[in-house]
Amino acid sequence: MKTRANVLLYNVIAVIVGLAISMALLAFMHVNPFEVCGKALSKIITDKYNLGEILVKATPLIFTSLAFAFTYKANLFNIGAQGQFLMGSIVAVAISLALQGKVPTFVLLLIVLVASFAAGGAVGGLIGAAKAKFKANEFLVSMMSTYVISNFMDYLLRTSLQETKAEYMQTDAIASSAYLPNILPGTRVHLGFVLAVVVAILVSVLLNHTQLGYQIRAVGRNPNAANLGGINAGLIYIISFAIAGGLAGLAGLTEINGVQHMLLREFNASIGSYGIGIAILANGNPIGCIFASLLFGFLNIMGTTMGRLPGMNIPASIIELIEGIVMICVIASYALRYFVDNRNKKKQMRKAGV
Amino acid sequence: MVVNILTRAIMMSTPLLLGALAEVYAERTGMMVCAIEGIFLMGAWGGFVGTYLSGSMLLGIVLAVVLGGLMALLYAFVTVTLGQQQVVTGTALNILAVGICAYFQRVLFGVPTTPLQIDTLPKLAIPLLSKIPFVGEIFFHQNILTYLAYILIPVSIFVLYKTSLGLTLRSTGENPVAVDVAGINVNRVRFLTVLVAGGISGLAGAFYTVGYLGMFTSNVIGGRGWIAFAICFLGNWSPKGAVLGTLAFGLADAISVYFRIGTGAFPTELIIALPYILTILLTIFRSNFKVPAQLGIPYSKES
Repeated sequence: MKTRANVLLYNVIAVIVGLAISMALLAFMHVNPFEVCGKALSKIITDKYNLGEILVKATPLIFTSLAFAFTYKANLFNIGAQGQFLMGSIVAVAISLALQGKVPTFVLLLIVLVASFAAGGAVGGLIGAAKAKFKANEFLVSMMSTYVISNFMDYLLRTSLQETKAEYMQTDAIASSAYLPNILPGTRVHLGFVLAVVVAILVSVLLNHTQLGYQIRAVGRNPNAANLGGINAGLIYIISFAIAGGLAGLAGLTEINGVQHMLLREFNASIGSYGIGIAILANGNPIGCIFASLLFGFLNIMGTTMGRLPGMNIPASIIELIEGIVMICVIASYALRYFVDNRNKKKQMRKAGV
Repeated sequence: MVVNILTRAIMMSTPLLLGALAEVYAERTGMMVCAIEGIFLMGAWGGFVGTYLSGSMLLGIVLAVVLGGLMALLYAFVTVTLGQQQVVTGTALNILAVGICAYFQRVLFGVPTTPLQIDTLPKLAIPLLSKIPFVGEIFFHQNILTYLAYILIPVSIFVLYKTSLGLTLRSTGENPVAVDVAGINVNRVRFLTVLVAGGISGLAGAFYTVGYLGMFTSNVIGGRGWIAFAICFLGNWSPKGAVLGTLAFGLADAISVYFRIGTGAFPTELIIALPYILTILLTIFRSNFKVPAQLGIPYSKES
């Protein structure tokens, strides 16, 4: 327990240092960082809608970060969460458009839930299979799959899925009967946030308290030893990648049926890479992913709010800057912790007279 | 038409080749430069900003190399000195690069009403060689960076396989303990190689802005850094393989430009996605990879 608190402490300090560095960079815009942050913060805190937006932004990030964290435990790099998310989105919007008005909302959402998980899962499963059967480098395959899928989506957006007006590369808006229900009046917060939190808890249980979770971690530590121990490492690759892909696919449900209500080009183009950052911030811990996603959601809203402050002329792109710096600080803090722990261990050994 | 496409293919191959050769060198020492996409972007931005502000393309290119090198410095510090995960660090730096470019672009230029333009590197016709029918048009009507890439091919092959420096680099990726025992500082070799690779990748990035677009947008690289990264894998970590891979991807890139506008039922997106599909298929179906034994593994004397 002591080490876990220790980890958290290092993380929090790293985040604060990262934020401080980013704030200092604000000075380049010839504004007072404290004034800007104060104004933006008070705008967020006093406005229920803005507070809700933090949860809205955090929702898909929880899923994409889980998608990375899940295989990370098996020492595999799923950096294709963006593509798996887009696949989930395509399926979510297609099914919603096809079934809306024909089946009750609850049934529709349930179908979309299963289908978007399956769509993302299929992409993930294929990547896992390439790894298991052909020893393909999962890092490259998952990376490239995102580009392939986003081109596939572009194709659909100007052909079979294009809006009836056929003007822009986007789909028709789905009917309000296919929306995920709002759970906080006066905001855009929808049921998807609750789903994300529940799923994160389920993933935590799956990884830490089930046989499958044990097998995944065992394969991650040492695939050869796991194989000798009777675990089929190839099968574990496929299963863990399929689940990871499914998790990213679920973000398709929450973004299509919960927020955007249609699919368009460049749809949430960076939640995949943010997911990786968040998972790292959380050190691959599923519950940690919830809080790290909330932090990123907050930073995101902070960036947009700053961008809208009158007379300040701060670009919303400050958000990438802040997030990048925070991530580097967190990674560096892991090294620092390792260094300090090592030194303490050596000290203890010396004391014990070894 | 054919000559046009092939000329363009050579042009589009140039930055990929620079990036892939840089990656080959780094990975031979055991270091994946996963920040390559971000380094490309920094190079593209540096080239643009430097040229725009100074009016000199040379200064722009120098700035691109410097920014690429600085990015690589940060990457090397975290991965080599601090011994952290390369994939993870690369992802962080790639996000950071987007932020730095977009933010400082705004700091420097505000929100311009018309896109900012710079002149691009002139095409230089090589005397005599450019007169050769067909070949001359394709290979010897290019800009200076392409010629630099031509020169780098034999040089990089020679250095990697015929010099003691090359032997050291290759051994560092295969058997760092032996290198250490021979009195060479493994981490210093890796650090410096990543720095040089970063500078060259920055140069590659500059090609996109200074070499032919003449302007900067934050999606100017659009995954091409990763393509260079992939070419290194697919080329089996050899400069020769990198050249072959680069030509294939350059060709696909050139063809996709001709089909850029998606109209009609024909899936032109398929052509745009071709380089990525190719990468996936090759990654899956090529089995005789010679991965450097210590690729991606930090080295420390204690363990």
